[in-house]
Amino acid sequence: MEEELTSQIIDKKAYKTEIARKYTTFLSQYPEIFSDLIFGSDFDFALYDSLESYIKESPVDIFNVYRNGNGIEIKPGCAVDSDLELALSIDAIEKLIQTKTKEEYAKLLGSFYNNPDEKKGWIDFVLHKRTQTLINMGYGRFAKTAGILEDDDDK
Amino acid sequence: MSKSQELEIKNKYTGEVIRTIPADTPETVRAKIKKAHRNEHLLKEMDFFERSQLLSKFATKLRFKKAQLKDLVVAEGGLPIKYSEWELNIVMTGFKFCDWYYQFLEEKSLTSIEGEQLVKIRYIPHGMAACISPRNTPLSLPLYQLGANYLVGNGAIVKPSTACPLTMLEAYSMMEEMNLPGLEALNIVIAPGEWAVDEFLKSPLIKTIMTITSSHTAKDILVRYGRFLKKTVDKSMGVAMYTQPFKNFFFECAGNDAGIVMDDVNLEKVAKWNVMASYTNSGQQCFSMKRIIIHQDIYDEYIECLIKEIEKLKYGDPTDPDVDIGPLGSRRILMMMEVMVEDAKKYNAKIYTGGDKIDTGEDYGLFYKPTLVEIKPELCEDLTKAPFLWREEAFGPVRSVTKAKDMKDAIRLANASNYGMRAVVYTSNLKNIDVFKNQLEAANIYINARPMLVDITVSLGGIKDSAYPAGCKYYPQELVYGKYIYDGTPLNLEKIK
Repeated sequence: MEEELTSQIIDKKAYKTEIARKYTTFLSQYPEIFSDLIFGSDFDFALYDSLESYIKESPVDIFNVYRNGNGIEIKPGCAVDSDLELALSIDAIEKLIQTKTKEEYAKLLGSFYNNPDEKKGWIDFVLHKRTQTLINMGYGRFAKTAGILEDDDDK
Repeated sequence: MSKSQELEIKNKYTGEVIRTIPADTPETVRAKIKKAHRNEHLLKEMDFFERSQLLSKFATKLRFKKAQLKDLVVAEGGLPIKYSEWELNIVMTGFKFCDWYYQFLEEKSLTSIEGEQLVKIRYIPHGMAACISPRNTPLSLPLYQLGANYLVGNGAIVKPSTACPLTMLEAYSMMEEMNLPGLEALNIVIAPGEWAVDEFLKSPLIKTIMTITSSHTAKDILVRYGRFLKKTVDKSMGVAMYTQPFKNFFFECAGNDAGIVMDDVNLEKVAKWNVMASYTNSGQQCFSMKRIIIHQDIYDEYIECLIKEIEKLKYGDPTDPDVDIGPLGSRRILMMMEVMVEDAKKYNAKIYTGGDKIDTGEDYGLFYKPTLVEIKPELCEDLTKAPFLWREEAFGPVRSVTKAKDMKDAIRLANASNYGMRAVVYTSNLKNIDVFKNQLEAANIYINARPMLVDITVSLGGIKDSAYPAGCKYYPQELVYGKYIYDGTPLNLEKIK
């Protein structure tokens, strides 16, 4: 039987931007996207207003998603020992939060990774830990579920 | 000084000149080798993880420029646009997660019988590498060669094919744009293999020669190296000596991969994968499934499925997203396909489909229709007498197919080859899978695998004439040597004081 996961947004008022508030609310609908991650996984979602600000490592807002025993906790700011940073352009987030289903969200997220566009939207990620460590933590499977890495059944 | 020349790079489909670029001369090649060698220390000043993070950042840059790179790959390489995505993804994935290769380079401690841990095996970069890349992959292989050397800390000179160097030059200029630290230890050489390889062989600064080429060309490189070795006689000892040091040679060569289809699979589904594995990039892939071996009980039905799938392949303008088969890379390949099919006909081979060419009479817009040729199993056994199409690599869209009586016979036929890059099997009989794994003679065995897999674990290498040295391999592990370090200090310090 598939485990039902819960989600919790911590300290909603602490977000700097409205887009971060909207995105965290949106993500909290789909805690199952994070089900492949092991307990204790924690990674940052960094929001950028341009590619230039990404290169300069200067996000407009940042929150982290922590995988606890029952589901996920979404918390403002960087994780204490972040596994990786998922970087997203605001243009991408605005489109992502319009999607109606988890599948539609994953497909669009994947397209922003595989066909990034400075104007239309993009995502990227920066690994803070070794790839092998992250694979063992379930991030590879997470990336597939989230639409970032191509799924074997796509073709 | 040799006069520098200009090189016209043409669109493989239209013949239009895409760009004219300056070509290197022997003097500029030597200067580039020296410069890269002089700056090799810049790579050594960073550790593996710093270099891997930089390559990962570069992968991001590549991804943002993907559309531009894809256009170049299609234009100069003739790769259909739908395939160019794969060409880019394979290298972007490899670079993004390149610290994965650390597992092959990580220092290892060995425990002695007595339980002491005094020995370490540390992996040290060989030093400057000269890399020669083929024409069929304008970006992935030359960039992978460059990146692998950067990752382990070797300076490198990469020589992409003069038929399609633009994508690699573009990638290199992206590295310049991002001021990639240590880039001064890497360079690109635009020169024909005929003399550029000699420059690499002669240079004492080059420690490793890496090539991706035909097995015959690789052997020719060894012969050429032999000519550069000067024998001298030490008069006092009266023995012949060679003063030049050894070089490392890493050859990725031809594949003549067998693909076995057993009688326990869904024929329509497997035929779709088979066609993708056999004809992608017009079959101009070393790891393409070239010899198809079918269980006799499903032979006729499977052939029908294959023909149906092959005839769906659309060939033509590679910029058309529906096109599967782009123009051939050269007239030589077109000729090779014609020769192989004509030779097979002498053996009364049946041409199930294809067998026609489109020849513009120029050096562009050349096609050979996807072709499937039956080779009788009894002709496959003795390689000295087997049809050319069975015994040599068909580096184009012509594939041979033959019939096997059973699993044992299928394995025998698959192993009847001078090559051993990959072997592919489709079967649902779980009991037989281990037999295939154990008995197939190839460095890479793929059981029920999706074709054109983009996965960091996908290895290169081969056995027999497919690679030297033999075995499955990842470039970073080939570019370092193991240093054995015995440190007896904890045991013996007092004894030697």
